[in-house]
Amino acid sequence: TVRPKNEVQQKQLCAFGEYVAEILPKYIQQVQVTCFNELELLIHPDGIIPVLTFLRDHTNAQFKSLADLTAVDVPSRQYRFEIVYNLLSLRFNSRIRVKTYTDELTPVDSAVPVHKAANWYEREVWDMYGVFFANHPDLRRILTDYGFEGHPFRKDFPLSGYVEV
Amino acid sequence: YTKILGVLENIPKDAAYRKYTEQIVNERFDLVKKESDVQKLQDKLNSGQIEEVILQAENELSLARKMMQWKPWEPLVEEPPSNQWRWPI
Repeated sequence: TVRPKNEVQQKQLCAFGEYVAEILPKYIQQVQVTCFNELELLIHPDGIIPVLTFLRDHTNAQFKSLADLTAVDVPSRQYRFEIVYNLLSLRFNSRIRVKTYTDELTPVDSAVPVHKAANWYEREVWDMYGVFFANHPDLRRILTDYGFEGHPFRKDFPLSGYVEV
Repeated sequence: YTKILGVLENIPKDAAYRKYTEQIVNERFDLVKKESDVQKLQDKLNSGQIEEVILQAENELSLARKMMQWKPWEPLVEEPPSNQWRWPI
C-alpha cells in the first residue's frame, strides 16, 4: 500500500518553502519537499540563530516549539556531521526541518538563546557525537558514564566500546 | 504597528522580507483601525485571542530589529561542498 498523494498540501509546502528561501537567501542553500509532505531547509552553519529566530517570530511562520535536535554522522563527507532541528508550529499545525552541517572541530552556535529546550538536546549531541556548541550554558556529559572517553554515536566507534564492562 | 513600520523603513527597499512584513503589518493595522469591537476584530484577524496577536506583534518587532543587524537578504555566504547534501551517499 502506498500513502495517497496529498497534492494540495504539497503545493502549499512548496510555496511556503519558496517564500522562506526568498526572504533569507543569505543562509538557505537548498529547500526540499520530501515525498511524504515534509519541508526541509538546508542552511549554512553561520545562519542557525537568524533562521531559527525568524521561524520563531515571524507572523507567517510561527514555529514556536523545538521538537527535536539531533545529529547525523556521515563519515565519508568533508563536513561530517549534519545537525537537524525539527520545529513545530502550533498556530498553523505544521512541521519543518532545518539542517546544518559541521565538521569535527568547528564549533556551532547554540540554539539555546532562541529555544530554551535546546539545552539538553545540545548536551546530548555533544556527548554522543562531539559537536561543540558555542555560547551554551553548562555543556557537559549527559548520557555516558563519568569517566567515559570517546563519543559513542560516531560511526567509527565500535558497538561494544573500547572498555570492558 | 507604527514602530514596526518605522524599523522596516531602515531596511533596504528591495528586500523580500521588507515587502512581506509591510504587507502583513499594513493589513492588520487597517483591520485594527476599522473595527472597534473586540470580538469582531478577533474573528476578522482569525489568529487567536487579541492578547496573542499583541504578543505576535511584539515578536515581529524584535525580529525586525534583529534583521537589521543580520541582513539576511544578501546572496549566499558560502556554497556547500558538492557531495554535502547528496542522499543516498
